[in-house]
Amino acid sequence: MSERLHLLTASLAGSPALAIFLTVAAYLIGIRLFTRLGRPAWCPPVLVAALVVAIALWALAIDYADYRQGAGWLMLLLGPATVALGVPLYQQKRHILGLWKPLLLSLPVAATLASAYAVLIAWLLGATPVVIASLAPKSVTAPIAIGIIDQLGGSLPLMMGGLLVTGVMATLATEPLARRMGIQDHRIIGFALGLNGHAIGTVRAFDLSPRAGAFASLGMSLTGVFTALLLPLVWSLPRLIG
Amino acid sequence: MAELRGFLWLMGFLLLGEIAVALLYLPFSAGVTGLVLLTLFFIASGQLNSDIAAASQPLIGLLAMLIMPGVVGVFFIADQFAGQWLAVGGALTLGTLLSVASTLWLMRRLMPAPAPAADSADRQRTP
Repeated sequence: MSERLHLLTASLAGSPALAIFLTVAAYLIGIRLFTRLGRPAWCPPVLVAALVVAIALWALAIDYADYRQGAGWLMLLLGPATVALGVPLYQQKRHILGLWKPLLLSLPVAATLASAYAVLIAWLLGATPVVIASLAPKSVTAPIAIGIIDQLGGSLPLMMGGLLVTGVMATLATEPLARRMGIQDHRIIGFALGLNGHAIGTVRAFDLSPRAGAFASLGMSLTGVFTALLLPLVWSLPRLIG
Repeated sequence: MAELRGFLWLMGFLLLGEIAVALLYLPFSAGVTGLVLLTLFFIASGQLNSDIAAASQPLIGLLAMLIMPGVVGVFFIADQFAGQWLAVGGALTLGTLLSVASTLWLMRRLMPAPAPAADSADRQRTP
């Protein structure tokens, strides 16, 4: 009996059906747990859902590599979903046109710094090139960051972990820092939440006010696109020079 | 059928992104290139295409689930990056604190004062 069960899980291990079933089920469980916990800022629902999948894989003795191969079918939808982000970006047109000057001056600098601080600190602490590449897109929203990591040659799971920690850190740090600096403008607080804390920070900004949320979406979209264009260029520089 | 028509548009722009990346040797991902092309298309036509908007909403709502296979990997990399965790932790925590402070400082210097009317409207919505 146990031998047959073993054979069954072995044959199901790389099955897209099982991987997709586990992912969707865990996602719904994660959302429910997150709501029941009172929507804590320090614990994004996708982390709870991922933990549920990890436990299921461990219980069924399925390799993560096999699971990822099966679930890759689901990730194919990330392509059109990333293109779809053009819709909310275009809907921010009013804010972008109204504030083009401060945005044009601050966004490239702030988005570059969000990546550069991490790259610099990791390098100073002796990180390997793979680790540095994985941390560079840490403030970019996940679907766009996945596209970046393919170009830079980093590790997808490490990048995802970095994204989660960054989102939570930015969410916890932005409001206390703003208070200390005497900033009450929800446009600035929202923008900083989205620019640094991507989707996780944007959720927090919508809790503050609709206005903070709108500016967080703006900061997140612009940072994502800008960084997706900047990092691959920077990473290809050494090759171009020699 | 609006969603399906919109999905076809999105796949079309993704395809355009792939073609542009291949022909012009762009170092960008096809998805981001398609995103930029779609935004330029909206700007050129001066409005949102309602089919694309209808298809985008559910897809964006599912983004968190679509990235999950990557997030699950977080629980399986402890050994792979042994000896690197100080660098990772330092870059993520200190780096994020510095970048949040930099953004706030920059925006405080550059943002014009908020329009009073819009501000009071906000206050009414969030008592």
